[in-house]
Amino acid sequence: MSATLFYGSLTGLVLAALLLALVGAARRFLLWRRGRPSPVAWLGGLAAMPRRYLVDLHHVVARDKAFAHTHVATAGGFVAAAGLLLLVTLAPLPAGGEMVLTGLMLVMSLVMLGGARRVARRRRRPPSRLSRGPWQRLPRSLTVFAASVAGLSLIMLMVTWLPAAWLTGVLGGTLALVLLAGLALGLGEMFLGMTWGGPMKHAFAGALHLAWHRRAERFSTRQSDRDGVSPRSTGLKPLDLDDPDAPLGVETSEDFTWNQRLGFDACVQCGRCEAVCPAFAAGQPLNPKKLIQDMVLGMTGGSDAGFHGSPYPGKPLGEHRGQPGGPMVVTSGGALVDADTLWSCTTCRACVEECPMMIEHVDAIVDMRRHLTLEHGATPGKGAAVLDNLIATDNPGGFAPDSRMHWAADLNLPLMRELGQVDVLLWLGDGAFDMRNQRTLRALVKILRASQVDFAVLGDEERDSGDVARRLGDEATFQRLARDNVATLSRYGFQTIVTCDPHSFHVLGNEYAAFGGHYCVRHHSTFLDELLQQGRLKIAPRPRSRVTYHDPCYLGRYNGEFDAPRRVLAALGIELTEMARSGFRSRCCGGGGGAPVTDIPGERRIPDMRMADVAEVEADVVAVGCPQCTAMLEGVVDRQAEVRDIAELVAEALVLEESVSEASSTATGARRRPRQTGHPGRLVEEASQ
Amino acid sequence: MAFDAIFQPITIGRQTIRNRVVSTAHAEVYATEGGMTTERYVRYYEEKAKGGCGLCICGGSSVVSIDSPQAWWSSVNLSTDRIIPHFQNLAEAVHRHGGKIMIQITHMGRRSRWDGHHWSTLVSPSGIREPVHRSTCKTIEEEEIWRIIGDFAQAARRAKQGGLDGVELSAVHQHLIDQFWSPRVNKREDEWGGSFEGRMRFGLEVLKAVRAEVGDDFVVGMRICGDEFHPDGLTHDDMKAIAAFYDATGQVDFFGVVGSGCDTHNSLANVIPNMSYPPEPFLHLAAGIKEVVSVPVIHAQNIKDPTQANRILEGGYVDMVGMTRAHIADPHLIAKIKMGAVDQIRQCVGANYCIDRQYQGLDVLCIQNAATSREYMGLPHIITPSEGPTRRAVVVGGGPGGMESARVLAERGHQVTLFEASDSLGGQITLAAKAPARDQIAGITRWYQLELARLKVDLRLGTRADVATIEDLRPNLVVLATGGRPFLDQYPAWGFSADAEESLIVSTWDVLSGKVAPGKNVLVFDSICEFAGVSAADFLADKGAKVEIVTDDIKPGAAVGGTTFPTYYRSLYEKEVIMTSDMMLHEVYREGSNLIAVLENEYSGVQEERVVDQIVVENGVRPDETLYLAMKAASLNRGQVDLEALYAAQPQPCLAELEADEHKGGYVLFRLGDGVAPRNVHAAIYDALRLCKDV
Repeated sequence: MSATLFYGSLTGLVLAALLLALVGAARRFLLWRRGRPSPVAWLGGLAAMPRRYLVDLHHVVARDKAFAHTHVATAGGFVAAAGLLLLVTLAPLPAGGEMVLTGLMLVMSLVMLGGARRVARRRRRPPSRLSRGPWQRLPRSLTVFAASVAGLSLIMLMVTWLPAAWLTGVLGGTLALVLLAGLALGLGEMFLGMTWGGPMKHAFAGALHLAWHRRAERFSTRQSDRDGVSPRSTGLKPLDLDDPDAPLGVETSEDFTWNQRLGFDACVQCGRCEAVCPAFAAGQPLNPKKLIQDMVLGMTGGSDAGFHGSPYPGKPLGEHRGQPGGPMVVTSGGALVDADTLWSCTTCRACVEECPMMIEHVDAIVDMRRHLTLEHGATPGKGAAVLDNLIATDNPGGFAPDSRMHWAADLNLPLMRELGQVDVLLWLGDGAFDMRNQRTLRALVKILRASQVDFAVLGDEERDSGDVARRLGDEATFQRLARDNVATLSRYGFQTIVTCDPHSFHVLGNEYAAFGGHYCVRHHSTFLDELLQQGRLKIAPRPRSRVTYHDPCYLGRYNGEFDAPRRVLAALGIELTEMARSGFRSRCCGGGGGAPVTDIPGERRIPDMRMADVAEVEADVVAVGCPQCTAMLEGVVDRQAEVRDIAELVAEALVLEESVSEASSTATGARRRPRQTGHPGRLVEEASQ
Repeated sequence: MAFDAIFQPITIGRQTIRNRVVSTAHAEVYATEGGMTTERYVRYYEEKAKGGCGLCICGGSSVVSIDSPQAWWSSVNLSTDRIIPHFQNLAEAVHRHGGKIMIQITHMGRRSRWDGHHWSTLVSPSGIREPVHRSTCKTIEEEEIWRIIGDFAQAARRAKQGGLDGVELSAVHQHLIDQFWSPRVNKREDEWGGSFEGRMRFGLEVLKAVRAEVGDDFVVGMRICGDEFHPDGLTHDDMKAIAAFYDATGQVDFFGVVGSGCDTHNSLANVIPNMSYPPEPFLHLAAGIKEVVSVPVIHAQNIKDPTQANRILEGGYVDMVGMTRAHIADPHLIAKIKMGAVDQIRQCVGANYCIDRQYQGLDVLCIQNAATSREYMGLPHIITPSEGPTRRAVVVGGGPGGMESARVLAERGHQVTLFEASDSLGGQITLAAKAPARDQIAGITRWYQLELARLKVDLRLGTRADVATIEDLRPNLVVLATGGRPFLDQYPAWGFSADAEESLIVSTWDVLSGKVAPGKNVLVFDSICEFAGVSAADFLADKGAKVEIVTDDIKPGAAVGGTTFPTYYRSLYEKEVIMTSDMMLHEVYREGSNLIAVLENEYSGVQEERVVDQIVVENGVRPDETLYLAMKAASLNRGQVDLEALYAAQPQPCLAELEADEHKGGYVLFRLGDGVAPRNVHAAIYDALRLCKDV
């Protein structure tokens, strides 16, 4: 092969691949853009993309150190080698410069080759969360591309130094041909595959998804680094109910915003979401990874038979298909996703938290739920009844609205209506109607009084925060409740809202801003931590039996509060025994997102699995900070551990003024041995708090 | 929310009550120092408030006047300002736990005794004698009427100054106000009797005087009856008219309604319905009153179960339910509902041990809960785990004393093994529950069964323990609650033999347990006159036998309490059981296929014979001491109990020996219940609690 032919072929190959890739990219971009509009900072986003990749995305990827290194080598090597390849082949360069760049290209392709071998090793016995199919050939493609580029770099370097004859010889010619063929294959996977729908699509769409993400505010910036905050964006986006053209949720893929569609394409099918999904683990028909791939099929059309990962539990592949403009969710005829898949989600955000591609699974699920609820009234199980209750009574249980304060009839709680202005507004949440949660509330009141906090409650003026309505897709009811609550709150003066319900905490703190409600909201664990720091809470720490702590999703993953509850427990003299899944990886109790009311059957119950986690660390007590978690975990049959809210544990350890402590001294005398579950001593002690 | 209706607060007058459950007024017989609410009294009500009870109305029949005798039933005395600081203690203790407390105030009129203390001349509208107390009285004069009206007002003032939340005027149980109402007792023709308005006048003047004294921000209620159940008494329609009359004044904040009058033994039994009654038997009467009044109506009487209470409230029959005996049995009733621990509620079984003691002027005690009203002595409703070493405890006997011992020791954190020779727990309770309409007594056992299972007590049923079995477990503590056997061999002339074929007589246990089939023509001889004899007679008659029950005491069932013997009598008379008193069983012999019982009159010595086919003898229990005598010598304390420590509810000194004996394998030995001497369920449970609570 002559050098001219060699260079000509090389350049031709690269140019052709580049052009075809660009055509593919344009087609793909236009495909995404068939979604609804969503304004983005086009250039600013692109400019922010490298930082988002290197900081935010890498922060997630780096949780798996070994694979993070592999990915850095493979992706970094590829980007550099591919860029150099374009330069060397397409740009007019001075010979000396070309030599240096070719040398660099050789180095980078070798780095990539190293990475590719490690990818291959991982693919030898891939864990079930990884997709197979084309993903199994990817390490080979990466290897072929890297090796070909390396070989070609070598040839290019050698052509300069060696007599040209060797290239025209049989051996050299064959080698060059093989390498060119390898490059062609590699370019096919790496360039065309990116934009025409191969596994490498994740790199192309992923990069643009980072640039034009629908929640740009979730990424760190230099400013946020300076302020020492880790930004979160976890509140759901409101539907514009006044816009007659806006669809009520998502019926067809085109009802997603265009950058949501872009996000679906970013999925790398790593299955980290699948591995942490509580519904998947419980054998309910949900697999977040499969869901995102179904969202892709919604854009492109086709059957899910081509999916090469774990199916939705209990739902064989090949029975569902989608088409552009067709329905996403099965309501009557065929579609991509069965409704029970969507209703299995507890909105725990474990998938979002783990997704290295920053895909927003929960947004997509709620968008489709909105369509089912608002357009079809098809909220399953007790969901419809809960929504009816909210509409009629402003609380999900359908209790008489004026019974919200019954639990506190003997506490003479100060009312905002009477005081107008206080330091702390105690937000009760709908746990006020629940006998179990009333004990937590009474414990909290006891603590607030003992630490002389100036507080009041809204009393019967409080309404449900709208959390469950919103997550069941009833955006209209949510917005009504939000507006009503915001209007009520606007009449009063307070510094802080304190609540023992992480769902209220999240909704008031993160989702009311869109309706004009801007508040400083504290979960009670945070507030108790502050009281302890300020020395306003007198505690007699005492050693207890083994205690573990269950992070509520809406406190931890949604709001990043992992430390305050642990500090409070430490102040009580408790040495926590942590569960394998704790902190941002805490396993959901199964109580979020309306899952307990839609009640989609599975093979196991999520709270049972969580109590098994508790049993695994042999804890006698599981400390919680959420009424939902308490209800779910206490509902577990034959559980070995007691479920206690942090407020109850604090109230129990309070050092009170003489007159008050004397009353309960008979019941609270120090005890050396761990107490029986449901010990009657606790019964009256707690119930009469 | 489960039990939603119970936990709905309610406003009475200007007081908000946290839930719908009331401990209604009952005579406690605890007021000391001339009717003061001293420590025992305060702690008794504090425990209910701590347990979550919404409203306590204390002091049933608390007197407002010096001529309404206070001392017979240790009633609260509101006739003196000396009561005010005691009320302050009481109010503070209840309010501290979020409860409310009111007191019933009354003048008893003729319903008392005159033969003691101040030797008061009792007063009544027309001087007609009251049969239950055999009390004669004078016809009240107008001056006395006005004095007593003033006394009511002063008493209410004292309640208010003492910080109580209200008063309940008693116009029930035939006290003075309803003595004026009832044409059966009020035969006056002046302006205090005769017409409806005349009969209403005394109560109205009392109400007006009280209200004028305390103002509007103090609760004033009335407790009335729903129907006197006497042909010449007030009917339900009369009571509706009366309730409407007082309600129309706008000065009554609530009505409490009790079904039935109670100035005869038979009607008295209705007022505190024992276990033979259906649930809430007189609810319809209270609901009838609720129809005609505009203020909340409270009703007690056989409401013992949270689900039942919730159902009644949900149905809207009344506004609040009285669960008074339910709280005597378990003052933490509400707390346990709130904690989702309904199974742990010690439910009242309607044995009426409490009220039957009260009618004898004895302090109210619960048959099954020995801590009730002994809070002041340190007897706990909640057993806290021991801080000392875990002990191995063996309890022998699954009757009430054994079950309570096992429960208390297990709550203390000890390893407990309980041996019971029969196949089930309960001991004599199991037998008692076999009699007609007495099945609910088994509720005592039911609770223990649940508790012992919850506390993981090692139950060895169907196992008769001997010394070797017990010592194999290397116990630190042995509690013998072995009970006994029927004492049929006291008189050889009765012809008892251990050989059933030979024996001329059988025991009530044989009959009730079903071991011996009922005869056709049966004589029951009962020298004890408590429950077993009448239960066996009723049981036999129920199975179709012709029965005569004979006693040498003053009447069959003489020792059965005032609210309980009437329901036995109703049943026995209905079944034509012949009741014979004053006759001793002198001798029994066989004549052909018949048995001849020779009875001898206690007073005349005259003998009579009865020809029957079965003779059942109730002669009490002979303790089974075998095991005790075998183990006594080896035990660290030689089986002895320190009485001073026992009576003061202090730890037994011998327990300290156990500490010293550590590792030497010795054990402390206690025995209690009928295994010591035949007493009753409460005695066994009380001893078990006070002996075991400090182990």
